[in-house]
Amino acid sequence: MTEHNDHDLEQRFEALRRAQFGVAPSFRATLSAARARRAATARHRPVGLVAAAAVIASVAIAVLIIRRKLPNDLATVRLNTPTDFLLALPNEELLRTVPELGRVTITLDRRTP
Amino acid sequence: MSPEALERELDQLHSAAFGWALACCAGDRPAAEDALQASYLKILDGRARFDGRASFRTWLFAVVRYTAAGLRRRAALRRWLPLAALEARSDGRPDPVAALAGEEATRRLTTALATLPRRQREVLHLVFYQDLTIAEATEIAGVSLGTARTHYERGKAALRKLLGKEPE
Repeated sequence: MTEHNDHDLEQRFEALRRAQFGVAPSFRATLSAARARRAATARHRPVGLVAAAAVIASVAIAVLIIRRKLPNDLATVRLNTPTDFLLALPNEELLRTVPELGRVTITLDRRTP
Repeated sequence: MSPEALERELDQLHSAAFGWALACCAGDRPAAEDALQASYLKILDGRARFDGRASFRTWLFAVVRYTAAGLRRRAALRRWLPLAALEARSDGRPDPVAALAGEEATRRLTTALATLPRRQREVLHLVFYQDLTIAEATEIAGVSLGTARTHYERGKAALRKLLGKEPE
């Protein structure tokens, strides 16, 4: 619903509507084209599915190959840096072992390694 | 609604729906025909169902708008994928909408509309071309009444400016 001072736009849109209605494809033609397109899509669907499956399989194979090249257990990889010695503590075994009563398993060493 | 009744309703609104599809596709006729065909298929296959909450025209226009937006997104995606060679080519026939360019006023209006933001173009089309109220346009465009009014006013001002006319 337009306002009173919009006659200029109303006239322009009315002219556009008349022109476009004149060149609109018929309903039957549009419907036939739509049905033909549906049939064509149905014919191409198996090709699309096969293509999608091929892409997924290629990606899966590539991932497997890349993962195989990586080391399986990262814990087995030990990185040594030049500053590792700064983190070494005297008697650091104490931090990693459970003491047992009546048994001395480690010898205290007060020197820095 | 039976398939025959649906077809009858679609037939009655076909020309208006084609105009709306053109507006949704910024005047691109092949895109508008695609959107309209896909919309009809959705409706006749039952993938879009009319539940009677709005008028049939409002519902149909909402389906066309939604379908056109989906096709637009897919077209944007295809531009990034190397599938251009698989695209259907134009059949070489002259575009009847382009033939309207002979009419100067119509050509200026379609050119000006194509440069407006999509929401403004849609609201102006629904109000001036389809003769709907702004409230009805909100249902189709999927915006609030206040937003639709803003698009309407800004769209009118921008359109008048583009058409080289001062607001009255």
